Amino acid sequence: MDRRRIRVLLVEDEEIHRVVARAVLRAAGVEVEEVENGAEAVRRVRESGAGGGSGAYNLIFTDKQMPVMDGHEATRQIRAMGVATPIVAVSSDSLPPDVQAFITAGANDFTPKPLTKEKLGHILAKFGLA
Amino acid sequence: MDYSNLRRQAASMKKGLFDQGHLDEQFRQVEDLQDEASPNFVEEVAVLFFKDSGRLISNLEQALEKYPRDFNRWDAYMQQLKGSCSSIGASRMKSECMSFKDNCGKGNVEGCMGCLQKLKREHAILRQKLESYFQLLRQAGPTGAATRPVM
Repeated sequence: MDRRRIRVLLVEDEEIHRVVARAVLRAAGVEVEEVENGAEAVRRVRESGAGGGSGAYNLIFTDKQMPVMDGHEATRQIRAMGVATPIVAVSSDSLPPDVQAFITAGANDFTPKPLTKEKLGHILAKFGLA
Repeated sequence: MDYSNLRRQAASMKKGLFDQGHLDEQFRQVEDLQDEASPNFVEEVAVLFFKDSGRLISNLEQALEKYPRDFNRWDAYMQQLKGSCSSIGASRMKSECMSFKDNCGKGNVEGCMGCLQKLKREHAILRQKLESYFQLLRQAGPTGAATRPVM
């Protein structure tokens, strides 16, 4: 797949994590959009032509703890819209209950912070975006 | 000026940071993201890290005073700082974060306070060492001195 056509939504409130994740994603050649909380993520997904299955993004990375709306709730709401876009949680809270909470909310996968080139490669391959 | 000697010194300094456990593999990952489009990426991330971690440590200190024995709150602050340390590979600082969290789990106030003091020392040491490292890199670069960002 032409990586330039892969649109990724990065949902992360902490600047340092956004900067590093953005660099990893851009190095992979994908198009990145960023928001700083779950509510903004839900809005972007809704406004980007969500519904009918896949929405406008090919992949969503979301943190857990964020102001306004956290990653769990954002994941739940995105799924409630009928959006099937793969959602990968990226969080420092990586104990089994944290991971399970995300999966229960509707996330497809979980990776501990920070996002790296190697992790991204596995994720893109897993969801057929490599 | 002997630029190759400066570069050797910088490489040696960086090796020391890894050998002494201040930095881990994540720092190399960050270096790997530096390119022609972002020639100062590593230093920019370092500046961001020290701004972020300084703020988080300050928030935690206030929380320790304002919310005594509120281990859940203290743990939450430290979790953020631990995440920040992970982003740049600040390995020793991350270990102290984990020790602090461990002490929170045990309800050990003294342990938490001790860890925080160690964390602040490691923070100061890493900041000083990375400042020196980046200064050397700037001197060793092809264009010589550059604008020094505030860490």
